[in-house]
Amino acid sequence: MNTIVDIQTVNTPRQAAKMQGETSAPGSDTPSLSIVMEDRKSARANPAKAAAENLSFWYGSNQALKNINLVIPEHQVSALIGPSGCGKSTFLRCFNRMHDLQADTRYEGAITLRPDNVNLVGPETDPIEVRMRIGMVFQKPNPFPKSVFENVAYGLRLRGVNSKTELAERVEKALRGAAIWDEVKDRLNDSALALSGGQMQRVCISRALATEPEILLFDEPTSALDPIATAKIEELITELRQRVTVLIVTHNMQQAARVSDFTAFMYLGELVEVDATSKIFTNPSKKATEDYITGRYG
Amino acid sequence: MHVADPHEGHTSKTVDQALHELRTHAVEMGGLVIDQVGSAVKALLERDLRLADMVLSREPQVNEYESRIDRESLTFIALHQPVASDLRSARAVSRAALELERVGDESKKIARFAAKAGAVAPHDCVSSVSRSLRHMATLSTSMLRNAVRALDEADPALARDVLDKDKEVDEEFASALRQLMSFAMEDQQFLRATVDTVFALKGLERIGDHAKNVAEQVLYMVEGERPRKQKKGDRGQGTGDS
Repeated sequence: MNTIVDIQTVNTPRQAAKMQGETSAPGSDTPSLSIVMEDRKSARANPAKAAAENLSFWYGSNQALKNINLVIPEHQVSALIGPSGCGKSTFLRCFNRMHDLQADTRYEGAITLRPDNVNLVGPETDPIEVRMRIGMVFQKPNPFPKSVFENVAYGLRLRGVNSKTELAERVEKALRGAAIWDEVKDRLNDSALALSGGQMQRVCISRALATEPEILLFDEPTSALDPIATAKIEELITELRQRVTVLIVTHNMQQAARVSDFTAFMYLGELVEVDATSKIFTNPSKKATEDYITGRYG
Repeated sequence: MHVADPHEGHTSKTVDQALHELRTHAVEMGGLVIDQVGSAVKALLERDLRLADMVLSREPQVNEYESRIDRESLTFIALHQPVASDLRSARAVSRAALELERVGDESKKIARFAAKAGAVAPHDCVSSVSRSLRHMATLSTSMLRNAVRALDEADPALARDVLDKDKEVDEEFASALRQLMSFAMEDQQFLRATVDTVFALKGLERIGDHAKNVAEQVLYMVEGERPRKQKKGDRGQGTGDS
């Protein structure tokens, strides 16, 4: 378990898979490479944007995550799948320190964010700083009871952007980035709550994009939406990878298959398998993964 | 690389049933085409016109099986969006059905020749290679039987046996060709019948290839990896499409 891996040199899906159980020992210095290259024809993974290293998490005495090691490649979409209660949402929420809002929780291990190697779950790291860099979109669209414009401008204002021109530019850019500008450009001052569910979700994505996060977390972003709105969000996620690294939790395996480059399967708080999505959905290596994705689980 | 139980174990019993039916139909189709091959060769060797006609009359049933399996596998994919071993199973059965349909075509050609040869032509060139025809028919139907069984039971070892057997069919074909050449050179009046006999032998050799292709589908279905392509003259394990 103490093999050390340089997350910036992980180049192939197989290498990413190999990172399970092959990461740096807690407390070690700069990690170094110890992965064997494998000649695979599948798409190559970009350098890592973040890596969970021996990450464990407790709700009180209940251990929800057990020694997770996972690389999140930059500008690619990584999907987390697994049955309810397997810890995938818990894992996702570690990335922006959502658990800090709850009493009696505890992290162990690290989530290292590149390029500056900040440990996102380290007690020395300010959670507000973390949330500035890691955006999140939730299952249910949750716009603020404000206008479309103010929803998107909210994070920018918090960061001290007050120039009307700059705000207008950045709000438009974020709304365009979330593929909803054309639908709301004439309704910027209307309440965001008056939009359809799919539109509200895209406004929430715009709100997250406005502050230009490095990683965008999606926690079942389409489970409350109809198929057309879902397709729009999925198309958006596919496009977003050019600007931001995406980590998505989904119960819909076909969605994971459609939008992600890499898929990680979690079960009972452990990471069972991670590989290129095309590999996971045609020939997974672990029986537990096979049983889950073919509907033999439970 | 996990096909724990090829038919069952899904939370959705509809999926179990759909996969089971797909394979059952492929096995039924396999039984029919194996009988078609045996009957066509028997009709040829025994100048049995009735048997040749029966083979020809059953050919549409083979085609109907292929269309049905193709339709059912497409429906299964559309309705259940299978992944991993389930997806590979649906694909393997569909492609195996296509191979079996081609076996049916080869049987039809042999039966047509049997009908023609039995009715008019002297049968000497067929008799000259009757041992090879029998042997090739036995080999190719045995390969087909094992390939279909391997598909039904998701048995990679049986599928590999089929791949290994193809060499014997090819060798028997080469030997029969040599015999026929000698026969044709001795008396050119049998040239036409010789050419037809070569086609019958070639048909049996192709049937061996189709059985091999079915076995390759089984290996992909069970193991998730394509069997390694084999170079000519390197007849170890695994082989490519022919």
